Amino acid sequence: MRGDPPPQDPPATGAFEAIYDEHVVPIYRFIHARVGNRPDAEDLTAQVFMRAVEQLDTSRDRGQVTAWLYRVGQNLIADYWRALYRLPVIGTEQVAPGWEPAAPDAEPSAHGEAAQDTAAARVRSLLRSLPERYAQVLELRFLERLSVAETAARMGVSNGNAKVLQYRALRMAALLDESHD
Amino acid sequence: MTDDREPTAPNETGDEPGAERFDRYLDALLGGTRPSPDDVGNRDEAEMAHVAAEMAAAADPAGGAPDPAFVNQLRRKVRDADRGIATVTEPLPIRPVTPETPIGRVRVTRRQVLQTGLGAAAGVAAGVLGTSLLRGEPTPRDPIWDDGIALVAGEGIWVPVATLAELPRGAAVSFTTPAFNGYVVNDEGEIRALSSVCTHMGCTLQYRAEWRDLRCPCHAASFNLAGELANSRAAWQATGPYRGDAQAYPIELPPLIRPAVKVKGEQVLVWTARI
Repeated sequence: MRGDPPPQDPPATGAFEAIYDEHVVPIYRFIHARVGNRPDAEDLTAQVFMRAVEQLDTSRDRGQVTAWLYRVGQNLIADYWRALYRLPVIGTEQVAPGWEPAAPDAEPSAHGEAAQDTAAARVRSLLRSLPERYAQVLELRFLERLSVAETAARMGVSNGNAKVLQYRALRMAALLDESHD
Repeated sequence: MTDDREPTAPNETGDEPGAERFDRYLDALLGGTRPSPDDVGNRDEAEMAHVAAEMAAAADPAGGAPDPAFVNQLRRKVRDADRGIATVTEPLPIRPVTPETPIGRVRVTRRQVLQTGLGAAAGVAAGVLGTSLLRGEPTPRDPIWDDGIALVAGEGIWVPVATLAELPRGAAVSFTTPAFNGYVVNDEGEIRALSSVCTHMGCTLQYRAEWRDLRCPCHAASFNLAGELANSRAAWQATGPYRGDAQAYPIELPPLIRPAVKVKGEQVLVWTARI
């Protein structure tokens, strides 16, 4: 494309790519930590940067650019959960109790990993606060990534039992998570 | 805490009707595929899904890192979009256009058909059809059609989808078949079938008679009757702004899939799957 003679000096396309390269991994991590699965995290990350192409003023200073990207990401995450909760549109802070707001002044390269560490610590403390059987079923399913059948075998219960156990465990985890925040 | 159930193993029958369905949500989440909102039955389960998503993320085997292939792919997409936007901010020559003047109209070549990767599937039906490219010298007696691709390999069937009487020049008739949906169009005397699936994200294109294009309701891509993106940046540069659009479509898109079509007597038929 460099061969195309533009009628005028094109805007510095390199500037946007530099912003992309600097932020794509931390933004993805930020989103992934909050939606928990790759396809949705990829979709939302793509939406952040496609929106940035259209709307972001790349001449702003680095901190503002970073803050803008996280803010867009956070809004998309809020929309994502709002759709699942099937709630009428209300304030972001009310939609999903328990997630920390983006810290725009945080070091961008460390931001995503810090979020990952924070989330991991929260999960550990959440599991510790559950009854033993509930903690066990969630550990086997989420941390060891065993299937329901494997989980059931390890716990010596039927598949149906394992499903009900994990259902109740998550229900209680959700209640605890909320009451902590 | 409001959970008054005993935190012990439940009985064998299980008394949570949502447990089975919700397990599908978890299976997708933990299996790395997209979980379906349909598997979340109520607000309680939405909260459970939320906790589950955060736990799944915290325990992600990849440590929450993106797939390098995704990062590269998105970089290309962002770069293309950035260039597209950059271009339309520049002043462009305005020239009068009329609906009779197709913009950026380029004949779809055999090479492009093969590039879609479906060339092999085109084998049987398209092979016997051959190509009838008689633009400029249309003879009323000879049916003229574009060959297209036999999308259905093996057991297929020709089904009538329109008559020639319904297809004067510039007209389009939508059709639905068991395998795919689309339009048959008369492009300057040449009958062609076009898939109505936008090659951007799969939205359903709508024919606009006044523009003689297939327009995407999602992001406003316009495809001409040859199946090519007509409001691309390149088309703007070549021929000026696309009618009625404030800016060029920011990225290039592959041409529409062209299902195999033929004309027999007065009937226009497409090759599709048997039900």
